[in-house]
Order: sequence, then structure tokens, then C-alpha cells
Amino acid sequence: MERIIAGFVAALRESGIRVSPGESLDAVQALGICGMEGRRSSRQLLRLTLVKNVNDIPIFNEVFNRYFSRYKFFDPDMNVPELMDAAIVSMEGEFNYLDQLPGDDHDDNGPLLKLDSDINPEDLAELKSLTEIDPDDMDGIEIVVQMKGYRGKAKKAPRPTRRYTQNPLTIELNKSNSTQMGITFTPEEQIAMQDVVSRMMLRLRKDMKRMKNNQSRGKLHVIKTIQKNYRHDMVPFQVALRRKRREKPRLVVLCDVSFSVSHASRFMLLLLHTLHNQMLDVRSFIFNREVAEITEMLANMPVNDLMETIDTGDIVDLDENSSFGQVFLAFKKRYLENLRGRPAFIILGDARNNYDEANDWVLDEIREKARYMLWLTPEDRDTWSRGDCLMELYGSYCDKVEVVKTVEDLSMVVEELLRDIYADQAEPIDKKRLRDAKAAETYDSRDYYTRGGSSEPAAFDPSGRSHW
Amino acid sequence: MITEQGVKDLLSTSGYIADDTIATAVFLALRMEKPILIEGPPGVGKTGLAKALSSALDFPLVRLQCYEGIDEGKALYDWEYGKQLLYTQLLRTQLDTYLSVSADLREAVERLSAEESLFFSKNFLVQRPILRSFMSEKRSLLLIDEIDRSDDEFEALLLECLSDFQVSIPELGVIEAKRKPLTILTSNGTRMISDALRRRCLYLYIGYPELEREVAIVRVKFPEICDTLARQMVEFLRKTRELNLRKPPSVSEALDWAQVISILKATKLTPEVVANTVGVIAKHQTDLQKVTDLALQELS
Repeated sequence: MERIIAGFVAALRESGIRVSPGESLDAVQALGICGMEGRRSSRQLLRLTLVKNVNDIPIFNEVFNRYFSRYKFFDPDMNVPELMDAAIVSMEGEFNYLDQLPGDDHDDNGPLLKLDSDINPEDLAELKSLTEIDPDDMDGIEIVVQMKGYRGKAKKAPRPTRRYTQNPLTIELNKSNSTQMGITFTPEEQIAMQDVVSRMMLRLRKDMKRMKNNQSRGKLHVIKTIQKNYRHDMVPFQVALRRKRREKPRLVVLCDVSFSVSHASRFMLLLLHTLHNQMLDVRSFIFNREVAEITEMLANMPVNDLMETIDTGDIVDLDENSSFGQVFLAFKKRYLENLRGRPAFIILGDARNNYDEANDWVLDEIREKARYMLWLTPEDRDTWSRGDCLMELYGSYCDKVEVVKTVEDLSMVVEELLRDIYADQAEPIDKKRLRDAKAAETYDSRDYYTRGGSSEPAAFDPSGRSHW
Repeated sequence: MITEQGVKDLLSTSGYIADDTIATAVFLALRMEKPILIEGPPGVGKTGLAKALSSALDFPLVRLQCYEGIDEGKALYDWEYGKQLLYTQLLRTQLDTYLSVSADLREAVERLSAEESLFFSKNFLVQRPILRSFMSEKRSLLLIDEIDRSDDEFEALLLECLSDFQVSIPELGVIEAKRKPLTILTSNGTRMISDALRRRCLYLYIGYPELEREVAIVRVKFPEICDTLARQMVEFLRKTRELNLRKPPSVSEALDWAQVISILKATKLTPEVVANTVGVIAKHQTDLQKVTDLALQELS
């Protein structure tokens, strides 16, 4: 039984489920306790002990069916040793079969297999998944894909798609995340985005928390400390510290929604929408020739509805040529004054100004207001100075210009930005620490009150008491 | 010796209708003495399972509600500073006489430190839920509710308790559980639980129940509702779950609804009945409209 379980665990691992040795031991133990009475109950036992995530359950079921359909294990009439031998023999047979498998088969069946990216060589050996994909079905899928492309567009005449072929970004995004040139996101896309974001959040959370904790630790809160220790006869067993008020990092996003970069900006909006309220205070704007704020809408509307609204051109007219110069001017007039704090700016666009006035001096003013300015463009560097592209000019005002082509790129860039922002906020404390550390090196009792090199007396520091 | 079917029967005596997976999980947890981690949407009976188990098996329920910022002082143990202080105050005269025999300060300190363990004894230890369940003479049921609300640090703290059923207290040493409690952790999946914790538990996902089971649940709790009405209600609820609502109604809503319907003494589900009681099923303004629309469409 151990060998069978070990083999099954290996099959699970190959399908991407992480199973630790301890869990396989649990599975063996569980089977020992409950016995292998039937397929159903054995599957339950294995699932309870081996799978530790809801999302893995469908994969587990699939692997279970595939793995245990090879031999009839749970026939009550057969005795166990016989079963074991049969299993081992058939497993070995399986491996031999794998070895004999000619590699050419892959190429022959290429198009069929590409539909399902999760297929691994074991599946090929089974040849089962091949029969499952019926050629007739494939037509069905293709038709659905094509239909989806026109969903929601019916009200308007289809726009020229010439740009799609020019623009690497849209193609890449389509390849990796969407099967349609659509307006709205499919559930899979949203799940994929959730996935990207949750992975990113996991990576970020720990670092953020550490930084946050360092920052929020403040001075002694005298009144609260006295209150807290009243029952201890005022002996300060428990110390209450002041909490520093901490704000979420602010982010202002300007997204070009003109046809040339629409896909990228939509994914950007979705990404920020998912991030919003978790650790960011985002104000989002979209623009083409005019600029409009969509923060409220992003927060209150389902994403798909919003995307459709944007696409109808009700918020900003999409039929005009985009003009970055005009947009910057309008943004300065209408919004720049009432932006609170020092937000980080992200501008997403291809900087194709359609030979309009550049108005790049506005960017200079925005830069003054901003903590950080980042420009994301879908175009490669060598096209930046071609035609009406003003990337070189605009880029000179930005802290950074990044080329993003896929959702992964996008999330990487945003993650880096978030780290930067948090690190930026943590900096003042670190500097003070550094100064204190330096002062401590040249410690002299005479200048105790003026240590740190500053003229003002050192602040009361509860943690410093132990040094007295 | 209790069997899986036995677990099922036991649970049904305390009004909890379990399916095979739940029964197996509980059975395994009892036999293997491993914690169960239960995930699932809110209101499908995760906490309810723990309560039902505690009454069915006659294990005293020790509940630990997690929240952001929970720490060992709230979950494991704490020293009772106030009591320690009070005792030193009250025992001052005894201490004075006890220490007065000593010749010098050094000897006094030595004498006092010899008695130090008095002040860090179980006498001054406040048992918080986890330690309490470990110290219980009877096998208890430890419910760690909504573990996803706590922080990563707290999760790490639980690892020792859950794998070895022991608590390390620096002043007292390692305290092992007298009887290993049946441990149930619940999570709503608002945050990913670390793999380390998952590894130490059996994993049980409770989703929305199948039609028959949900009907049975409603019938057990509200026998006055006849089978056809219960079936009609559950079928309607199952359709609302497919509506993509912001908060789909779960089993707890089904039970609330059944209660309302039995109070109203309705005998049949009509669009009017649904419209009057929609607030029990749908919990968002946008959802209300969707549910009443569905009722008009399905029930008229």
C-alpha cells in the first residue's frame, strides 16, 4: 500500500500539488485506520489527508481517476498481496510504455494539444485526453471565441483592428490571458488576475508588515500607560505606546484608453481595482483626448460593467485621436490642485501624441507634486522616437520608464513600485537610527542631551531607558 | 469503537446532518488525533459542526475567536500580574519576618530567590483557551474560529500547539496536554493560511450542501415545514446561488428563512412570500432586486 500511495503522491506532485512526506504518512495511517472499503471512501481519505487547498481538489480528482483507473484496486474479492503485485507490475509496465513512446507524436498532435496547456507526458501515454478532445468540439470552442469577441460591440460598428497587429502589447496580453479581443473580462481572466495579485500580496505582505511595525512604534503614551497599570498599583508592567497615524500610500493612475493600448490599461485598471483598499489609496483617471476620473466607479461598479461603459465612449470619447499634451493640461487645471499628499504617479500610454502640442512643461509641474513618477509603455525602446511618439521627451521628466507587455510584467512593476513607496516612508526612521548609532559611538557624558549632533535636546525615548 | 456511520448518527442526534466526507474527517481526526482545518463559504456550518460535535460527544467546547492582533497572552496563557502584586503586598509581614533572620542583604536575596518559583507557579497563571483545553481533565473540543483573521505570527505560534499538543512556558517548562483535545480550525479563506499549518491538519472543505442534505437540514431544524415546501425553498435557494450575488445565501440563511416562513405559516412559496421575506436571503441592496426578479420568473 505504501508504494501505491507513494506513486500516487508522485503523480499528484507532477500535477503541481505540493504534498509533503508527512502528509503521505498521514494518508497511509488514515487508510490503515479506515481500510480501503470502496473507491469513494478511499478517495475521501486521500483527499482529506493529501490536499490542503480548495483549488487543488479538481486536480486531485482528475489525478485520482487517472491513476486508479489503471487497476481495479478496490475489488473486495481480491486479496491485498495479489493486488500489490498486480499494481507494481502494471506500474512498471506503464514506465516501459513511456520509454517506448516516440517523441514525434508530440508534433503530430500539436494543435490539438495546445488547447490544454496542463497536459503532461503522462497524458500522452494515456492517449485518453486526446480522445476527449473531439474535433467537433473544437469547432464549437472556436465559434464561441469568435462570438465573444463581438459581445457588447454589437451596438457600434467594429473599429479598425489595424492597430492590434502593430502593437506588441495587445498581442501578448491576448496570448497570455485572453482568448478574445473582448471588452469585458472572462471569469478565467479575473481569476488569473486574482491569482497574480494574491501571489503578489503574499510576497509583499511580510515585508510591509515589518516596515509598518517599525514605523508605527511611537513614543510612550503616558495617560494610557497609567490607565492600563492602575490595577498594578501604577507599576508600569504594561507600557502603552503612541501609535503613529499611518496613511495608505497614495497612487494616481492615468490610463490611456485609446484603442492602441486599451488592453494594457484595462488590465492595469483591474489590477489596481483589486489592489485598492487592500494597501493602496488609488485615484484612477482615464483619458483619450479628454480626461476623466473613474475612482468612484471603480470602487462601486462591477469591473465588467465599467469596462463596457468605458467602451461605449460615455466617459471619454474614444473616437477622437489621443492627445497627451491636452490631457496633461486638462489634468493640471482640474485635478492637480486637489490631490492630497504626495502621491506616486503612474502614467500608462504609448505617448503617441498625434502631432499635437506636447505641453511637456506640465509634466514638470506634476513631477513636483509627485513622490515618484512612472511611465509604462507597451512599446519597445527602439520605436520611442519614431513617428508621433514623444516617449523620449516625456520620459525625461519621469523617474522611470518601463516597458510592460504582459500581466506578469505589470504586476512586477507595480510590486516594485509599492516596495519603493513603503521603503520611502520607512526611511526617516532609519536615518534617525543611523544618526543615533553614530552618536553612540562617540558617546560622551557631557553632551548627552545634545547627542546626535543636533542642537535640540534628544527626544524622550522609552526604549533608551535601559541604558541609563 | 466508533465508526464513520457512528459519527454520522451521533451528529444527527444533535441536529447536524453530515455528509460522508465530514463524517470521515471527524472520524479520522478522532482516531489520528489530528486537528481538522475546515474551509468554506460563510454560513455552511463550519462552527456549527464543532458545536454539534461538542454536544454529541460530550466534549466541553473551548472556543478561541481569532482576530487581528491576537497573541499568546490572549490565546495560550498570561501571568496574573495584579494577583502577584496583591500577594506580595498581603504577604509583606510574612516576608519581613522570613527575611529578617538573614544576616545580610546577600543572604536575603538568596533566601528570596529560593522561593521565587512561588510567584511563577500555576497559581498565578491565567489559562487562556488553548491551555485551558489542554489542561482539561476530560477530553475537550478546541475550536479555533476564523483563523484567517489572525496574523502570520499567531499562526506560527499555533504550530507547536497543534502538532505536539503542548505549550512551552519559559518559567514553568513544557506543559503537555492531559487529554489531546479534538481540534477544529475554521477559515473563511479571506487570507491564505500558511502551508506549515495546513500540513499539520486534515483539510476539510465544506461547500454548499446537495439538495437532499439541505432539505434534511431544514427539516431537522424546523419539522413543522412540510417536505414539499422545504424542497421548494431549497430548490429556489440553489437557483439564487447561481445568480452571482454579492452574498449568496448559505445554509444559515436557509434556516433563517425557514424560521421566518414557519412563523408566517406560509404553505406554499409564491412571489409575494419571497418579496416579503427577501431580506432574510439577500443581504445587499443589489441582490434584493435580483432575488425578487428570480422569484417572479420561477414561482409565478
